Amino acid sequence: MDCSYFRERINLYVDAEMGYMEVAELQQHLSFCPDCAAELAQVGAVRGALAAWGRLELATPPGFAERVMTAAESEPAPRSPRPFARVVDETFEYLDDKLGSIRLPGGRAIPVKNVIGWGLATAAVIIGIERRHGRRSRELTPL
Amino acid sequence: MATSNLHKWASLPDPSSAELARAAEGDAQAFKLIVERYQGMVYSVAYNVLGNHTDAEDAAQEAFLRCYRKLPQFRGEATFSTWLFRLALTASIDYKRREGRHPEPAEAPELAAEEAPQLGAGIEAATIVAALHDLPEDYRVPTVLRDVYGLPYQEIAAATRRPLGTVKVMVHRGRASLRLKLRAEGAGPEKGPAGAPPRSDA
Repeated sequence: MDCSYFRERINLYVDAEMGYMEVAELQQHLSFCPDCAAELAQVGAVRGALAAWGRLELATPPGFAERVMTAAESEPAPRSPRPFARVVDETFEYLDDKLGSIRLPGGRAIPVKNVIGWGLATAAVIIGIERRHGRRSRELTPL
Repeated sequence: MATSNLHKWASLPDPSSAELARAAEGDAQAFKLIVERYQGMVYSVAYNVLGNHTDAEDAAQEAFLRCYRKLPQFRGEATFSTWLFRLALTASIDYKRREGRHPEPAEAPELAAEEAPQLGAGIEAATIVAALHDLPEDYRVPTVLRDVYGLPYQEIAAATRRPLGTVKVMVHRGRASLRLKLRAEGAGPEKGPAGAPPRSDA
């Protein structure tokens, strides 16, 4: 008997990737073919041994946890910002230290660096509007 | 996935949410407890994927560093052990892709438990390790992911960046090679009944 058709399907069977009719056909063949039944048993044994192996825990090399901890200590703390954001934050903190803040009535304080930032942003907007207005005026001026 | 070795890791007692929160805030002592508790699991995954101790140690360390960096993103949708298992698997596969080294000569790794492991059907741990080691690399990694860790084929295809059909063929060939190797060693059943019913973890 040519069993190659069924041998090819043993892997599909153990992976539960066959339809009901195909399973019934294979099982019928297995019931009277000891060679294919033996092959299925061997594939099952190999899979069982591999799964059992995967459940075992290997011993780690001596000092492994300590080496992991040394490597982790050289990492930035998990919640700390990334390097670029950290540089930005440190720069803002430095400016706050050097420039101080303006006290407002009511006890509130505005950092001087913020006032400078708003001033620069406002100036940039005004310059942008002026330049756009100037360009439109030149376009509308008759030659 | 009805049956998978992920269940084993998932059954480990997870760190409490307070312990995880402390580790996520950079508490070295809290993170050390996690490393000590899960080092065996992470190292085992790395060894089984990479097939040698040197690479396994590097990949396992990388997995823990990824864990350290990503702890604030852990939302508890899976158990912590499952989350860490996935990190270990990904770190090992990435390491394999990056370094592309071949396994060292086979040597049976030392087990955490002292008792001799029972793998069933008269198959010894050293025999399985040697048989896995002798598999061609293209077959070994998909076979380990499928039959040692019970990952679905789709996930293996995504992790190894290979077509689904190719991955299935590699696993089938890996099983065939292992079966022949074990039979040559006289391990496993020679003749038997129609076999155990298939695991429904496709």
